[in-house]
Amino acid sequence: MDLLAQILINGILLGGLYAVMALGLALVWGVLNIVNLAHGAFIMLGAYVSWYLYTYAGVDPFLGLPITAMVMFVIGYAVQRGLLNLIVRAPMFNTLLITFGLEVVLTYLAQLAFSADFRTINPSYAGNSIQWGPIVLPVARLLAFGVAIALTVAMWLLLLHTRLGRAIRATAQNLVAARLYGVEPRHLYAVTFGIGIALAGTAGGLYGTVSQINPYIGAALTAKSFAISIIGGLDNPLGVIVGGLFLGILESLTSLYVGSTFADVASFGVLVLVLMVRPNGLLGKAA
Amino acid sequence: MTPILEIKHVTRRFAGLIAVDDVSFMLQRGEILGVIGPNGAGKTTLISLISGTLAPSSGDVFFEGRSLAHVPAYRRARLGIGRTFQIMRPFPGLSVLDNVAVGALFGRGGGQAQLVKAREQARAQLDFVGLGANVDQRADELGGPGRKRLELAKALAMQPKVLLCDEVMAGLNLVEIEEVIEVIRKVRNEGISILVIEHVIKAIKSLSDRLLVLHHGEKIADGEPGRVLASQDVIEAYLGKRRA
Amino acid sequence: MNAVRIAVVLAALAILAAVPWFGSDVLIQFGINALLLAVLAQGWNIIGGYTGYPSFGNSVFYGLGSYGVAIAMVQWQWPFGAGLVFGVVLAAVFAVLLGMPVLRLKGHYFAIATLALAQVMAAIVSNVKLAGRNIGLVLPPLNNDRLFYELSLGLLVLATLTIFWLTRSRFGFGLIAIRENEEGAAVMGVNTTLYKTLAFALSGIFSALAGGIHAYWVTFIDPESAFDISLNVKMIIMAVFGGPGTVLGPVVGAFSLSAISEFLSSEITSLAGLFFGVVVVAAVVLMPRGLADMLRRIRRVGWRYFAENIRTHRL
Repeated sequence: MDLLAQILINGILLGGLYAVMALGLALVWGVLNIVNLAHGAFIMLGAYVSWYLYTYAGVDPFLGLPITAMVMFVIGYAVQRGLLNLIVRAPMFNTLLITFGLEVVLTYLAQLAFSADFRTINPSYAGNSIQWGPIVLPVARLLAFGVAIALTVAMWLLLLHTRLGRAIRATAQNLVAARLYGVEPRHLYAVTFGIGIALAGTAGGLYGTVSQINPYIGAALTAKSFAISIIGGLDNPLGVIVGGLFLGILESLTSLYVGSTFADVASFGVLVLVLMVRPNGLLGKAA
Repeated sequence: MTPILEIKHVTRRFAGLIAVDDVSFMLQRGEILGVIGPNGAGKTTLISLISGTLAPSSGDVFFEGRSLAHVPAYRRARLGIGRTFQIMRPFPGLSVLDNVAVGALFGRGGGQAQLVKAREQARAQLDFVGLGANVDQRADELGGPGRKRLELAKALAMQPKVLLCDEVMAGLNLVEIEEVIEVIRKVRNEGISILVIEHVIKAIKSLSDRLLVLHHGEKIADGEPGRVLASQDVIEAYLGKRRA
Repeated sequence: MNAVRIAVVLAALAILAAVPWFGSDVLIQFGINALLLAVLAQGWNIIGGYTGYPSFGNSVFYGLGSYGVAIAMVQWQWPFGAGLVFGVVLAAVFAVLLGMPVLRLKGHYFAIATLALAQVMAAIVSNVKLAGRNIGLVLPPLNNDRLFYELSLGLLVLATLTIFWLTRSRFGFGLIAIRENEEGAAVMGVNTTLYKTLAFALSGIFSALAGGIHAYWVTFIDPESAFDISLNVKMIIMAVFGGPGTVLGPVVGAFSLSAISEFLSSEITSLAGLFFGVVVVAAVVLMPRGLADMLRRIRRVGWRYFAENIRTHRL
């Protein structure tokens, strides 16, 4: 029984991290209709930025997250403004292709710049755990979970209750009308994508504190983010929390009871099921 | 003689909205039945229910006396039910000829097996509707009136027994409307029974043998065009109730 | 097709067929890889280019074909031909079973569902004892690159002829109608469910055949390499780069991209992959309708072709 509880808690903590990983993808996809296959690569980049800040400037990985976020925002803004804006009105399939190419480029650049060695971000308190009854809560994971939830809720608030959020959603739904209201779509798209990438980068920074990073982690993280976004649903920003928690718990349980190789099978199996039965996700409108 | 089409107490709901409400009527062989009604009356939904794109929430559609329940759209097409779309969606990447050829390839009885024969039939249909000169153009290069005729040709190439026309006259000028009326009459002369949804009252009055009026999904009138159009209910439906 | 074009294609075919006799070993190996990739691209063309359902899961069928041949030859001592048939049957069965639920999805949801399936196949197969689990299987060696080259070429010709047949058959027209307007196709009498499944199966069969030949050629397979996910994107990029929904587009795309990739590998090894990515990005921006469309229109429009593409699609 204690073991089950521990596994569930592990799953929840993991789920929080998963949620913030998927958040940027879901935002860009749901709002801008851009399917970003390079999403994982940006997570990877964010992880490296955090690592550099920690290793060479001694910045605490959690406190340094805002810096990572800002750096990644600038990168994201530039990518959208300079490149992705050029294909926004092309069939959506093209965004898949171009971001795939981008993924290849980013992975290779990372390999050249950072070498293929594994790295971790290991602040001194990383190994500590808090004991909560019979359950062990690793500090790093707990902090990551906290930040993740906070960010997701902040994102939800931003989109639904601020002027910027409304402008973003308006532009996504009706370009012409938005222009008539004085919104400059190119800038707004770039800002939105920038936010999405900033989120990805932040997730990367968090990821680096709980797992190893190397230039090749991008693809698997992209796949996972996709699964989470779809399971949770793109309509509601809080969907990623549902999706992330669901997946985190599912993976933990599957690892324990069936075997770790089946964790992937389980998550993608659920993904296919969701697509067939409730394509708008668990939090989306019923199809 | 069994009517070629019989709609019996058909209702269709969409999550709280009743689009078609207990509608019953018949389409006789060789008849032109006009269907009118204000916007949102449920006319296009009715056509979708007959062609099979939508299933009724209750009630049934009978074709030549046989129920169409659980018969999918493509099989209804092969039985002989053809339709045009109000929002015209040709196959954009194909030529005008090939658009119509699809109808010939898959129409009644499963259509043609040979592409060559299908294209011949397509040419004939395009001539019939007056698009003979445009056969090699890309379908999305046609203007509005041309597209309406293309829709008709596509449906005709299926060799339908029943043709469901959804607002084929929308957006046309008076001359073009006359031309379409002519084509529809020609189609009826070929022995095809036609159900025409239209907004242009004058046109449909001269074209139809009988007129059906829908309002808020309900049938409120059914009969000879002159009488129907003069009836109080119909006038109120379009113009609203008179203030005392 | 006019006489000149037929002559050109036949001449190209003759030259290709003759390569194993005057080419170096390296060239022949490059050829086999390029030919098999072209087969994959053409197979994808059937479901993605002509039917309009972009499958990201054809690696599943490729892997099934590989394992079909491997299991048949290693576990049951069947000859290669029988192994290929087994692989094809596996692929067809899977295509029908998986296709039925998945083909009900539209556009990018279909793409993601097939991607998800591709992801899990490797994991599932690595637990199957007959397939050698994680370790994989070692096939009986056959050191005859020429044979594999001609086999691959033959398969590519078969695939291309199939596509050509699509463009002038009732079945192909049905697929195109589905791509252009699925609901419209249904009300015109096209049995969309049946046709989509057939197209999916056909595309899977070609992927399986390519996988089977590849497995026998490299003599060794394991779940990771057989169900290699990057193949999915490669075949799509090649088909789209060359021109989806055309007869020769995917072939041209596969050959040209393979050549570029190979050239870059030999000249600038470490940056090869990087340049490949850059080429893909540039191609999507400058020539989103593929090489075929570019070659056709550039004669009329000149360099403005690229600027026009950007102008039509930019924000």
